Amino acid sequence: MLVQQIINGLTLGSVYALIALGYTMVYGIIQLINFAHGEIYMIGAYAGIISLGLLTLLGVPPSLLPVSILVSFLAAGVVSAAYGVTVERLAYRPLRQAPRLSPLISAVGVSIFLQNFVMLSQGAGDLVFPLTFPSEGISFLDARITTLQIFILAVSVLLMAALTLFINRTRMGTAMRATSQDRVMAGLVGINVDRVIAVTFAIGSLLAAVAGVLVGVYYGLVNFSIGYVAGLKAFTAAVLGGIGSVPGAMLGGVLLGLLEALGAAYISSEYKDAFAFLVLIAVLIFRPQGLMGSADASGEKV
Amino acid sequence: MYRSLSRAVASIAFLLPALWLSGCGGKDETVITVGVAGPMTGDQSKMGQDFRNGVDLAVEEWNSRGGVLGKKIRVDVNDDQHDPKQAVALASKMVNKGVAGVIGHFNSSCSIPASDIYAKAGIPMITPASTNPKLTEKGHPTVFRVCGRDDQQGKVAADFVANVLKSKRVAVLHDKTEYGQGLADEFRKSLGTRAGVAAYEAVIQGDKDFKAVLTKVKRADPDLLYFGGVYPEAGLLVRQARELGIAAPLFSGDGTIDTKFIEIAGPAAEGTYLTFSPDPEKVPTAKAFLDAYRRKFGPHGPYSIYAYDAANILLSAIRDAGTIDGRAVSKKIHDASFRGALGEIAFDLKGDVKTAPYVVWITRGGKFEEIGSKPAH
Amino acid sequence: MAPAGKTVTAWLFGGGWIALLALPFVGPVRALQIALAVGIGGVALHAARRVPLGSLASGIRQTAFSGWSVAARHAALFLGAGLLVLLTLPLHANNYVIDVATTTLIYVILALGLNLVVGQTGLLHLGYVAFYGIGAYTYALLSAGAHASFWVGLPAAMAAAALFGLVLGFPVLRLRGDYLAIVTLGFGEVTRLVLRNWDEVTNGPNGILGIARPSLGGWVLDTPASFYYCVLVLALAALFAMRRVFQSRIGRAWVAIREDELAARTVGIDVARYKLLAFALGAAVAGLGGSVFAAKMTFVSPESFTFFESVIILCMVVLGGMGSLPGVVLGAAVITILPELLRGFSDYRMLIFGAAMVLMMVFRPQGLIGSRSLAYEYRRPAGRGVPPRSR
Repeated sequence: MLVQQIINGLTLGSVYALIALGYTMVYGIIQLINFAHGEIYMIGAYAGIISLGLLTLLGVPPSLLPVSILVSFLAAGVVSAAYGVTVERLAYRPLRQAPRLSPLISAVGVSIFLQNFVMLSQGAGDLVFPLTFPSEGISFLDARITTLQIFILAVSVLLMAALTLFINRTRMGTAMRATSQDRVMAGLVGINVDRVIAVTFAIGSLLAAVAGVLVGVYYGLVNFSIGYVAGLKAFTAAVLGGIGSVPGAMLGGVLLGLLEALGAAYISSEYKDAFAFLVLIAVLIFRPQGLMGSADASGEKV
Repeated sequence: MYRSLSRAVASIAFLLPALWLSGCGGKDETVITVGVAGPMTGDQSKMGQDFRNGVDLAVEEWNSRGGVLGKKIRVDVNDDQHDPKQAVALASKMVNKGVAGVIGHFNSSCSIPASDIYAKAGIPMITPASTNPKLTEKGHPTVFRVCGRDDQQGKVAADFVANVLKSKRVAVLHDKTEYGQGLADEFRKSLGTRAGVAAYEAVIQGDKDFKAVLTKVKRADPDLLYFGGVYPEAGLLVRQARELGIAAPLFSGDGTIDTKFIEIAGPAAEGTYLTFSPDPEKVPTAKAFLDAYRRKFGPHGPYSIYAYDAANILLSAIRDAGTIDGRAVSKKIHDASFRGALGEIAFDLKGDVKTAPYVVWITRGGKFEEIGSKPAH
Repeated sequence: MAPAGKTVTAWLFGGGWIALLALPFVGPVRALQIALAVGIGGVALHAARRVPLGSLASGIRQTAFSGWSVAARHAALFLGAGLLVLLTLPLHANNYVIDVATTTLIYVILALGLNLVVGQTGLLHLGYVAFYGIGAYTYALLSAGAHASFWVGLPAAMAAAALFGLVLGFPVLRLRGDYLAIVTLGFGEVTRLVLRNWDEVTNGPNGILGIARPSLGGWVLDTPASFYYCVLVLALAALFAMRRVFQSRIGRAWVAIREDELAARTVGIDVARYKLLAFALGAAVAGLGGSVFAAKMTFVSPESFTFFESVIILCMVVLGGMGSLPGVVLGAAVITILPELLRGFSDYRMLIFGAAMVLMMVFRPQGLIGSRSLAYEYRRPAGRGVPPRSR
């Protein structure tokens, strides 16, 4: 039973980690809690479903797994990235010099807007994700891991590795790191800060979109309100790992997934969501910089 | 301070009269208004629209026969967004408009607080779908329901499980809502010692991941899963149970009987037992309703026929009472027995239907099928 | 926003882009309509700046605002007239209007309490609804369980909420800004989960039924009108109590902490004590709102105390203008009454609401009635991209 719960937790946690990366990258660069990020994840899941619908119209059945997976990832990634960048341009950029609360409230507004936009255009009920993985799995030690779970873990690990490489090895990655350390200085040395911020939103949204498709396939259904809870959890994961820290978000996501699975199994399934928040509160009070955040940020992010 | 305070107060003074205008719309003495209330927008909007269509159909038929008491009938649709706060606000709005009666609400959590408002104004309320026993236990003489109660439904399921399926180890799950937990507890109570309860667990409505709970359930090795809850969770539960290698069949209630359940669960839905009212397609009296409904709105929802009958009961009682005085109409509803699309309907003193029509259904070949109380072979 | 260089092509491009984004969700026909609407609307707006249309627009603006300035000039008169409308409301309005007005007053109370914490003291609190819930459940349990009167339940609810305010306040004293926001958010969610899952006490998701209305010496306030007056008195009391506190030493200490905590400490303000006081008082006011809410609904369930509710109350504070009492009152009224007026567009009202929140932040972040001093104090120094770090 323990092994099974760990597998369940890891699967869930790797998805949280993908979403958490978006929160943490945006926070690292413009110190904004992007409350609409959960909605971007939801938009990604819908874009995946819609692209598969189009594919079926073109005569490709969703059962042709490699094609449909690739298409839904691409469609979701492109659509979500476009939404993410547009939201930044319209709702956050004009507020960069505004008091702290303003962009936060603007973000809440975007979140309400996007939820209702999707609800009105796509219906309020659950949509079924038209992709099914073979239900075979590997059984070991009294536990079972399905091919889908293996796929989710593999995609998450690959994406995280790619992101790490991108941040550490490319010019844009270096510019992102520079901007997150000191936005004014980065601008002075010739970095196009607006562009760096837009790219950050695009990457974060893309990762969230992939997470959206993965979750859609995993649970088999999607509705317009999935972004809220997922966003809140992923955000918790980002804080747990140390908001602003990319490896922290990955660690935080996985830990949160494990915590939820084990907490639900051994303590109480009804308080499942509460564990996340209790840990969050404890971490912030005793180690405000998170597990992997740098110590100099402690409590001084005004 | 005073300057801006006066601005604020002046602005509110502008807003409130606007509200007043939107809220009253004037009592129109030349028509009789029937209120419909339920979740018309949001995630449960399908249920609300099913209500509305059923009532619309009934009212249209009455109007084509010349209305009631010599007046045309108008339907006033109200969206409570399955929020008790909204339900209460709308209830007083409808009372102001002078509706002759209300068909609604959908959710027990809305019906229960709203029923107080209607009862105080003496307006009859007939809910087509709120199955929680508490609604009629409050003893309001103007509150009725045409559907059954959770305690009746739980008993039918328990009898089937004990006598037909002969299950020995049952895992009971519920979604902690008024409806789901109520149903699961009634099931468990009726089951008594006829089968062992191997696990009793709660899940959260709106959650998508039940693997932690199911892994626990698997260890208890049940030969049946009973779930009190609604179709999205039921679909995910049975799907994830199969992924974890739990082979025991699922048994659930009327909240699960929706085609979305089969879509979500996919092949895992096969062999799921459900309690629900008899198939209207098999009820001879329902034929005319089903045909008319299909022509006008397409396939009927699980509660369309209840809403249709509820509207007919209200309108017949108004006709028989010869007035729209709510207390007189309620008395007529209590006294008489009605022949509706569902068959004969009569109410007991509490306002519940005298015979609760629950039978067992099964999911087979991607469809729901009524199997009565015999085994599924 | 709206720099002079925005050209027709930019608007057309913008319209096309938005339509492209909407395309997968709404289909080609709607997307084209959206493109045309945004493009033509934008171009029209652009043109309006050059042709006399612009002066028409400013004319409308002036007329709209002159009402306000008249109100300002004859402050006492308007205040009196407005109060008269509120006081005589039940005489000329129907039960629906009274019901909405009562709900508005409850939100006024809640927004006043949150304003104390966020607007006056500058502590971003995202879990305010927890205290509202604790207050509501305290009265609900006392009334339904022990048949306690409202006048016992009300102070008990306020005390319970204040106690929890202190419990939350102690550990978060040293947290600031976003960290504080997150911890309070977590606290709010945990409180809701406890309300939902502690079945033995709170009856789980089913909530508590049979809560009594207040009574005055044997006269039960169960008509909408009598209850409205009861809430009106409580709301006015809360408003004037706030005003007194804000003008006192305590209120000025809070402002000092909001503007510069370090400086406040340097001039000898006991920052920890004043912060705790703000948390406890804010929570007590939420407890007041909660017990009134419970008495109005005669029914409470955890669904009423979600994070979304916290956000709505925060929006009331921000919309009206943080730190300004009349602003907060107006914000609460607008956010409660406007969705009722928009019932005709019931499907679109939340969409409009979300968009309005964004537009408000972009074009008028100080709120409808922003306190002028606050707008000045709250701005970051222009031209600096990095938030000031107070070390």
